[in-house]
Amino acid sequence: MLRFLVRRFLGAVVTLFIISAVTFMLFYAVPRDPARIACGKVCTPETLELIRHNMGIADPMPTQLWNWLTGIFLGRDYPGFGNCDAPCLGYSFVNREPVLGTILDRFPTTFSLFLGSSVVFLIFGIGTGMVAALKQGKATDKLASSASLIASSMQIYFVGTLALYVLVYQWQILDQPGYTPFTDNPAQWFSGLLLPWLILALIFTANYTRMTRSQMVEQLNEDYVRTARAKGLSRQNVFFRFAWRGAMGPIVTIFGIDMGVLLGGGMITEKTFSIQGIGLLAVKSAGNNDLPMLLGVMVITASFVVICNILVDACYALIDPRIRLA
Amino acid sequence: MSFSRRNFLIATGVAAASGSVLTACSSGDTTNNTGGGKQDAAKANATEIKIGTAEDSKGPAPEVSGAKKGGTVYLLNDDDFSHLDPQRIYYAWNSLAAVVLSRTLTGYKIADDGSMTLVGDLATDTGTMEDGGKKWSFTLKDGVKWEDGSDVTVDDVRHGFERAYSDFITEGASYAQIWLSGTSEYRKSYSGPYKGKHLKSIEVSGKTITFHLSEARPDFNYVLAMHSYAPTPVKKDAKQDYDKKPVSNGPYKIKSHTTDKSMVLVRNENWDPATDPIRNAYPDQFDFAFGIEQLTAIDRLLADAGKDQYAVSWRTIPQERLQKARAEAKDRIFEELGSGVSCYWINTTRVEDKAVREALIKAWPTAGIRQLLGGEVRGDYATGIMSPLVAGYESQDVWGKLKNPAGDPKAAKEVLKKAGKSGYKVVYAYQQDPQQTKIKVVIENALKAAGFEVVTKAIDSTTWYDQIGKLDNGFDVYWGGWSADWPTGYSVFQPLFESTQVVEQGSNYSHLKDPAVDAAIKAATAEADQDKANKMWAALDKQVTETGAFIPDVYMRRIYMHGSKLGNVKMDPNFDGCMLYKLYVKS
Repeated sequence: MLRFLVRRFLGAVVTLFIISAVTFMLFYAVPRDPARIACGKVCTPETLELIRHNMGIADPMPTQLWNWLTGIFLGRDYPGFGNCDAPCLGYSFVNREPVLGTILDRFPTTFSLFLGSSVVFLIFGIGTGMVAALKQGKATDKLASSASLIASSMQIYFVGTLALYVLVYQWQILDQPGYTPFTDNPAQWFSGLLLPWLILALIFTANYTRMTRSQMVEQLNEDYVRTARAKGLSRQNVFFRFAWRGAMGPIVTIFGIDMGVLLGGGMITEKTFSIQGIGLLAVKSAGNNDLPMLLGVMVITASFVVICNILVDACYALIDPRIRLA
Repeated sequence: MSFSRRNFLIATGVAAASGSVLTACSSGDTTNNTGGGKQDAAKANATEIKIGTAEDSKGPAPEVSGAKKGGTVYLLNDDDFSHLDPQRIYYAWNSLAAVVLSRTLTGYKIADDGSMTLVGDLATDTGTMEDGGKKWSFTLKDGVKWEDGSDVTVDDVRHGFERAYSDFITEGASYAQIWLSGTSEYRKSYSGPYKGKHLKSIEVSGKTITFHLSEARPDFNYVLAMHSYAPTPVKKDAKQDYDKKPVSNGPYKIKSHTTDKSMVLVRNENWDPATDPIRNAYPDQFDFAFGIEQLTAIDRLLADAGKDQYAVSWRTIPQERLQKARAEAKDRIFEELGSGVSCYWINTTRVEDKAVREALIKAWPTAGIRQLLGGEVRGDYATGIMSPLVAGYESQDVWGKLKNPAGDPKAAKEVLKKAGKSGYKVVYAYQQDPQQTKIKVVIENALKAAGFEVVTKAIDSTTWYDQIGKLDNGFDVYWGGWSADWPTGYSVFQPLFESTQVVEQGSNYSHLKDPAVDAAIKAATAEADQDKANKMWAALDKQVTETGAFIPDVYMRRIYMHGSKLGNVKMDPNFDGCMLYKLYVKS
């Protein structure tokens, strides 16, 4: 296991380096000039050059990439903005803050959104899928399958906006969505995130319901399950100890990917509910031409996906003894 | 238009002291124009700005009828302020907050009817001019203090000007630095105050500060109302970090600020209302929430529940909620002419023949474009580049656009034919978004009907100003906008039409190089008599319009909304947002 983790970790570092370099070059290859934005209305060429120097974007692109990479380990000084301590993922000229600090500031919001919605969609998604598999072909199965089909075809920006309008603005039965740190006020943390959790979970629940159902149905028809039944094991024992465990592999894989994506920010959810997480930060940075921030978010998001994938691979061995980590 | 806020601000340069003269409140029941009809002259009632006396400069500000102190006001914004360090403030958005944090030597006292008077804010009056405007002196009032209780001194005022020369300050206005140093490359002559040297062109003595300018600037006292020229305390200057928590000398101070998330302003106990003729400061606290989408903010205000009853949005009501807002919350809408003027630049280095430019202007479907952008609420049809809110504005209609805002393809075709330019190829550049793409079609059809061959080029909106700012941009016509930095004509005509500004990424977007226009700008700039100067600027508005360097579009409007428990919520004509220092919390 240790050898596996070390090897995957090294692979992840290489992957992240390639992602960072490619993203960096793509962003800086486009004909955008963040200096122009900071230069004001009456912008002289001298001022423009000074701002480029202050931003550290006056150098050739390979030098900029090198400076960015070394900044991660050694920190950097931006003449016009101040110091960016290691690990420095760049400096946002729009927010006037080091990129990493802003992302870390937004992380608890995005993590809370991920946490709450995951709990909801895992419980309801997997639970409903299992019930549907257990009642295969019956009314319960048909109802669960139809409901999940409808829910999975919904879009967050539509359902979310509708729910906001009806439940918050019109009926006023739910609080205005927002983020309050759990440590400040657990009740407000819960009430402010309840609607985003439910809406985000609605879409994911449907996916997990369908996947769990199909995996469970498949597993229930496997030879080893039939053998277990033939040996006289109870229905519950067969269902939970054998079939459920076998079905979990693909679900964990998908959850690993979803986890990486959600930790990188649920852009549409955060935008719909004006929640200041990493997703909304990315959207706003794109609108504001804030390339350093976008690059930072990209790298952090990619890191989450890579790390979550390693965790998923590690979990395989725990879930399914047939898989050995070599 | 659907330009991003940041881009829009750059385009219009909605700047720190884009002071307006006056105000044309329009009622909340304005209905959309059908888009094809005529329109009388701009609705704005332009009046001359009054320059106040020493008596006008004394505090406290006149009480607002029915107002009382106390309560918290909630501000729903999509974006945070890009700068709060006064020397880094240029755009109006930042000034909306800075106006209650950073007082300047002069400022605008706004009456209940919207009329404005230039008064001494930190200074005892609007200054003493000598040598035709080359020398200006101001004396500080007694009792003006920083939030820590220390006095605002002339050294602090001088420090504000001097630190604007520093390498890290590039975002603020540069007018005064150029005049104080006599060169646009002012950083070469002085590198800022941090090595112990002072500017020779500023003298301080006791409570008096004197500026020696390289050229006559009779309107220098207007310029000093820009937040770029607010004082910064010498002892508390944290250089780059000062932007995060500037020291206040206004009625409020920053209690907390998390970039792009929230900011709380509380009372500055060391502010003395007796020294302030401008600000009332009724609420105890302002809570800013950033990251609230424009539509969300308006929906919350429409619902008018809980804390949102005490809230105000700083973004214009989006088109899709306008009718609903007017129907359901008419009494909670405030709408006024903004300081921005929208136009379409004609690249005069490419379209050299004036007859072609005239044909373009005559053919231009201004009414159709405005209709696509929301109709009358988008703005009043413009006839020039000078806003009705700039001192001296005179209604004119060189091209007959008010009579025929929909465009006159027949007349345009005639002009083209007469000039022997039928089938002239025009390259029209536009920002690639759904709304601008629709507008492109309207323009393309109108120009084709007038006998032009039209080539359209879509530009990524994030690179728009980089692209059109190039000297060799390859386009004939493109959208733009502007607003004055202070309410005289200089900051409109000099940046936009002086030939010195035809440089790479310069502000003369039409690339006009006209010796007659240059001479007229120089003459109006040097005129010491403000009434005469204002008339000269108005004449210049007509003169530049006649060159055909741009197609007038609209004098832009702003429409905002607030919660039911706020009173006296009014638009700040200087900064195109609500006046924090005049509103109050009801009950």
